[in-house]
Amino acid sequence: MFLKASFSIAPVLAGMLVTTGVAHAQENVVLEYWVYSDFAQGEALKLQQTFINEFVAKHPGVTINIAGKGDDDLLSGQIAGAASGTGPDVFMNSTSAGSSLVEAGALKNIYAEWMATPESFRAQFNKDLIAMCTPKPETMYCIPYTGYGSLMFRNLTVLEKAGVDTKAPIRDWADWLSQMEKVKASGKYGVPDMAQNWASFLNIYSGVAEASEWGADFDTKKTLINPEKYAKAADFLQKLKPFSTGTNVNDQATRDLFISNELAFYVNGPWVNPPLEQAAKASGLKYDWVMVPGATEGKKAGVQGYEFIGVAPKANAKLAFEFAAFVTEKQQMIRWAAALGRYNSNVESLADPSVSGNPLLAATAQSARTALYNKPPFFLGTFPNSYWSAITDNASAVADGQMTPDEAAADLVEELNEILADD
Amino acid sequence: MSSKTTRSIAHYLMLSPFMLLFAVFFLYPIVSGFFYSFFEWNAAQSSQFVGLANYTKVFTSRSFEKATWNLLVYVSITVPLGIFVALGLALLVDSFSGFWAKFFRSAFFIPVVMPLFLAATIWRWIYAPNFGLMNTVLSWFGMPSVQFLTDTGTMLYAMIAVDIWVSAGFNMVILLAGLKNVPRHYYEAARLDGASTFQQIVHVTLPSIRPVLFFVITYGLISALQVFDIPWLLTGSSFAEYGGRANTLLFPVMDMMGRGFGSVRFGQASAYGFMLTILIVCVTAVMFALRKRFGDA
Amino acid sequence: MSTIDTSAQTTSFSPALSEARRRSPSFATVLKWILAVCIAIVAVFPIWWMFNVVFSEPGVPISINPRLYPTSLGAGLNNILIIFTETDYLRAYYVSVMYTLLTIAGILLFSSMAAFEFAQFEFPGKKLLFGIVMLSLMVPTAVTIIPTYLLTVQLGWLNTMQGLIVPGLASAFGLFMLIQFMKNIPSEMIEAARLDGANHFQIYWHVALPLSKNALITLAILTFMKTWGNYIWPLIVAPSPHMYTVGQVVGLFNAPYSHTTVDIVMTANLLAAVPPLVFFLIFQRQIVEGIAHSGTKG
Repeated sequence: MFLKASFSIAPVLAGMLVTTGVAHAQENVVLEYWVYSDFAQGEALKLQQTFINEFVAKHPGVTINIAGKGDDDLLSGQIAGAASGTGPDVFMNSTSAGSSLVEAGALKNIYAEWMATPESFRAQFNKDLIAMCTPKPETMYCIPYTGYGSLMFRNLTVLEKAGVDTKAPIRDWADWLSQMEKVKASGKYGVPDMAQNWASFLNIYSGVAEASEWGADFDTKKTLINPEKYAKAADFLQKLKPFSTGTNVNDQATRDLFISNELAFYVNGPWVNPPLEQAAKASGLKYDWVMVPGATEGKKAGVQGYEFIGVAPKANAKLAFEFAAFVTEKQQMIRWAAALGRYNSNVESLADPSVSGNPLLAATAQSARTALYNKPPFFLGTFPNSYWSAITDNASAVADGQMTPDEAAADLVEELNEILADD
Repeated sequence: MSSKTTRSIAHYLMLSPFMLLFAVFFLYPIVSGFFYSFFEWNAAQSSQFVGLANYTKVFTSRSFEKATWNLLVYVSITVPLGIFVALGLALLVDSFSGFWAKFFRSAFFIPVVMPLFLAATIWRWIYAPNFGLMNTVLSWFGMPSVQFLTDTGTMLYAMIAVDIWVSAGFNMVILLAGLKNVPRHYYEAARLDGASTFQQIVHVTLPSIRPVLFFVITYGLISALQVFDIPWLLTGSSFAEYGGRANTLLFPVMDMMGRGFGSVRFGQASAYGFMLTILIVCVTAVMFALRKRFGDA
Repeated sequence: MSTIDTSAQTTSFSPALSEARRRSPSFATVLKWILAVCIAIVAVFPIWWMFNVVFSEPGVPISINPRLYPTSLGAGLNNILIIFTETDYLRAYYVSVMYTLLTIAGILLFSSMAAFEFAQFEFPGKKLLFGIVMLSLMVPTAVTIIPTYLLTVQLGWLNTMQGLIVPGLASAFGLFMLIQFMKNIPSEMIEAARLDGANHFQIYWHVALPLSKNALITLAILTFMKTWGNYIWPLIVAPSPHMYTVGQVVGLFNAPYSHTTVDIVMTANLLAAVPPLVFFLIFQRQIVEGIAHSGTKG
């Protein structure tokens, strides 16, 4: 009797649960959306907010909270959040942080959801980046989002005063050095200290090396750095030393020197352009950008890196994925690129006429065609922190003349392999 | 007897709010953290018992050795020097009276008031190579530019300077409070005996402020062993980049945080934390033993 | 009383001073003043400099022109306006102020109650309890941060004020410091109060607390500084923008890839420095008075 009653009640209860559950989902879903801090400021924030409003209009009852985070806060917040199940629902990060996030359990495998999207959507993206997000068959951790290729910004006032012909392209490293000689003779600095961080080092190393000679092989636990090419780059860093400001490319002091006509060359990502543009208006800074010079004529240097948007393995993952797919879609990426001149991985959006004319974007795209990836391979293994600092420490030691380039190269490869094997 | 019991109950009642919070938000987390140090702890996947593997991994790593060595050098310079400077400031302020005593004490305390991120931003500018304030001053004397924050020979000292700049005011205030409690007639007696200013400091001031001095030294030592913020902010200040050139400014807490949030090795980070805790507990025990030996004022 | 004290103190370290002052300053006095002024400049210069960066025409590089004095009020006001309109700085101010004040109140109350017991009385288990609490002073905060965070999450306190505040209330530092000061309270005064019929709590409230005023104010200021400057805890426990503290908002400006110029960064920094500075300047006077009153002991 009792059993019977409960049996008859069960479906009713279940039905109630389902209906309230659904109603609940439609009324009160809140998605936390974490982005880099520059995505949550000024123009970029307005555009992101527009995307959110459009998405919410199609999904009534959904609330999306966007939060901007500094690089580190973004990563540590996502890792700590994954540990407790309270992190963001949908978030961006650099592909170089991808495997850390996978290990921490912060990223959901979205392969099934991805394959369920229309072919026309999937075809919009850069194929290499889709492959990067899919490290194993049927395992996909992200949708490629924004990206960059490095550029060399030139202070035209400094160069003209030094008697450099700014119309003629810089042919190779030797040509670049001879320009810096002139700059030094006129009492100005040539470059920031390129050995101080891994990205500026890679901007030099990529002048001699190929894509297969950077990063690591996590199966054999060996670095892919080619010692001969490394020695060449290290030798060049030694030659750059007399022209260096001694500051890191990311120091605000470096940007200040460039803006105040004390520094000729400034190699960095396109994100440094807004303050330069502002300085051009405020103080008459004259500058342009060119490709990062390679060691020999025809060899292009540069670094490219990408941000992805990922989804946490949580209850609202399906909706979070829909949102991720929405913001990375062509129409949104066209508006993003057109408004900000920023590069992204949606190839079709970059071909749009409202976008392709943007000079900064065109240059970034050109740089990205040949540049080396920042910290490959992605999503396959986690580099110990000491891996990258070992490179910059070694490069700095050579630049300071503490070791010869050849010794340093042999030492470094040994050390990096040890670091990889240790972990 | 019964009044003694009621009094005991009153003692525990007064202690209970603090002790309760302490048990929940300190003891419990530390026990669960200790538990994690024996696991390959990956938040998402199920954790796996690995015994002492985390401990041996940390103990044999290159960065552990480097960080420990750095810490040893740092602590043996910064603690004595910092207290010497703070005591000097306290005596200096104490030798003024009225408005100027207040004025200088406030001025010397100001660095303590400033948030660290802000202090670090400014010191980076002071230390900037070639054109920073410090190098501008050096160039007036015809000296070559020094790379304070990237030359492995100067980094540690540059950091200790910031460290003392930030902490001296803190210790000064505590020492000053101690100085004020030294009965003035002690000095008069010493002066009548013909003691010089220096002799008064050594024979009257220092013995009288022993408990406060003990506090300042012990606390200084404990916080120096946990140094994190300043070297973090003066180097890359990110989990991808910290410790500076050749890990010259890498310290244990930093190495531990890097293993946790940078490399997602929370088990190793927990093990690291416990080794560090044991070290600090030993050092503090020695300090307490010393205080017992040399008498409590 | 306090006047006598200060004059005695002036002469105590330079016996020649009081006589010499009437005629001409001695060499030692001149040296003392030079030293004090130089140290004051070193200590205060950064704030002055930061102020100058904010209140100067933008575009002129700091590295070339060190900005030793402010040049433009308008530029500074404009910078501040940008910060207040383009970020949620006011909201962050509110969160930081509440976080800081409630933390101070909690720490002062709970640690002083416990310190009173540890400093003045004997009771069963005192040594053990004290030993355990002292242990926490020795444990690096970083060791407990992850488990404490997980606990806070289990309590459902993520992105709440109590999540920010409560885990930090058991301050072993505050306890240790107050014990050191409360040890100096003469036990006769406590006995006297007990003979007057005061109960245990009343003795604490009416005798011990007023006598520890200096220590409490010092602890309040130090707690203020520590809480206002606390970066890592709010970062992980209050990750949602509506609970951002000032430190987190400043962090957005300090990020290397942030699209901001140095004057804006310094404006954000300066605004973060103003409350602790004001707090300190206000309570400064009370510290001085408190010290003058502490003549009770001698």
